[in-house]
Amino acid sequence: MRELPAINLTLVSEALQGFLSEELRASGQKRYVLGLSGGLDSALAAALAVRALGPERLEAVALPGPTSSAASLEHARLVAEKLQVRLEVVDLAETGRLAAATLGIGEDRLRFGNLMARLRMVALFDRARRSGALVLGASNKSEILLGYSTLFGDSAASVQVLGDVWKTHVFQLGLALGLPREVVDKPPTADLWPGQTDAGEMGFDYLEADPVLYWHHEGGMNDEALVAAGFAEPLVTAVLRAYRRNRFKWRPTVIARVSSSCINVDRFLPRNPR
Amino acid sequence: MTPRSHDRGEVRIALAQIATCPAQLGHNLERHLEMLDRARAVGAQLVVFPELSLSGYVVAHGVLEMAMRADDPRLAPLFAASREIALLVGLPLREPDGRISNAALLLEGNELRGVHRKLYLSAHGRFDERRWFMPGPRLQPLECSLGRFGVLIGEDAWHLSSALHLAQAGAEALLIMAGTPTELDAGNTPAGGRRWQHLVATTAITTVQPVLLADRCGWEEGILFGGCSGGVDALGRPLTTITSFFEEALVTVSYSRADTVFARSLQPAPCLERLELGRSTLERGHA
Repeated sequence: MRELPAINLTLVSEALQGFLSEELRASGQKRYVLGLSGGLDSALAAALAVRALGPERLEAVALPGPTSSAASLEHARLVAEKLQVRLEVVDLAETGRLAAATLGIGEDRLRFGNLMARLRMVALFDRARRSGALVLGASNKSEILLGYSTLFGDSAASVQVLGDVWKTHVFQLGLALGLPREVVDKPPTADLWPGQTDAGEMGFDYLEADPVLYWHHEGGMNDEALVAAGFAEPLVTAVLRAYRRNRFKWRPTVIARVSSSCINVDRFLPRNPR
Repeated sequence: MTPRSHDRGEVRIALAQIATCPAQLGHNLERHLEMLDRARAVGAQLVVFPELSLSGYVVAHGVLEMAMRADDPRLAPLFAASREIALLVGLPLREPDGRISNAALLLEGNELRGVHRKLYLSAHGRFDERRWFMPGPRLQPLECSLGRFGVLIGEDAWHLSSALHLAQAGAEALLIMAGTPTELDAGNTPAGGRRWQHLVATTAITTVQPVLLADRCGWEEGILFGGCSGGVDALGRPLTTITSFFEEALVTVSYSRADTVFARSLQPAPCLERLELGRSTLERGHA
């Protein structure tokens, strides 16, 4: 069976810290704003930012909604305490209920989940404007490839520090950086409704999916080759179905090109000229 | 030893591993001037900067704003600094016909001593250089009062014939200016840097000349560069120890001309290269 290749955790951690420092310097902004959900991804992004820039240049915001679990806020507080960062709690429960009623979302859990993810985005970009900050995203490579994110919700950020890091390695980095075990060990969840887990929704977990994704996305193996290499056919089918179905999320906006100077098609320009 | 004489003694070259930012000329220029100060302080005779050191590497259509002629006033601080120390700087060079080259300028004594234009523009994986630049037309050593150097930019050095031609044209050492996006794997060093180390050593051994690499470090537009600046002597033996991949560093390298001459006496491989074999092989292939 082919495995996900290992990484040097020290080197990756050091490099990602350099990324966070340089993006802030190049943009001319003062700090990062991060939604601290109580989960591992945002905890790891916070830990990297604190190591790179110090706790005073990270503004952590917990954004509980009407259906968030109480443990999530506890874990966010635990991480903030561990990293010695200030944590602002912005309770989105009432806003979420009101917006859901206005939009007539009713009992549709998916629509409600997307709404909450996007309300969090609104709150984070507001805090970024208030503080002269960049919004630090915490999406990892596995969930981006699988499309397990809300477009313009949790996927919306100024920088994605973990966007090229497999979830398997996020677990390892979390342990290596000394994050609380209860945060590292708990099942990944978007916490959009009670009892929700990523694995429960997708039908497989990241540790199973990552080798399949790697050998397809990076290793060029197709479905048949993956099954021949020993991966279970239902797993390969489910993972690659999600991978293909959600590819539009990799590039969320497509501009209709009608000139010879279309942005990001004919003209690629550095983001921070000075 | 007089530092700028053509003797058989020690040559001291500083490799400026800097973190550049695309389209931030002021920032990049500042990095150059600081490294030039540091290089002077350690007695270096020449400073080599990475590929596109002045513009940044991931500059894309930013070359339209950043490209400059060799007499552009924005280069004045570097020309001025070259009164004190020679330097090799990388930039998008605006040609008289409007096209742009990925170029290296050798400055010394407030004058332009030579230009190398990248021959092999990278256009695979995440590289798209052929979209912004035109390839250089020729390959020849660059000369200044310190000696006769082969200069290669990035992928030029991956075509082994480049170093061979320069060695046969009388280059005393090979100076490579690079900006290498790298991936990180299980190794203790960036993967891109390890590839360069193999290539630098192989090039030195097979062409019997010291090979020095100035690589950039840091991040540009989300692209990681793992600096692996360093050098080997004409027998491929390391002259430096790489200690900093992600941080800026001034790596000072000294090599001995006498040792190089002795190595070539024992191993005259490049002088024996039978270039006509390549031609005849190609001709047979088409027959």
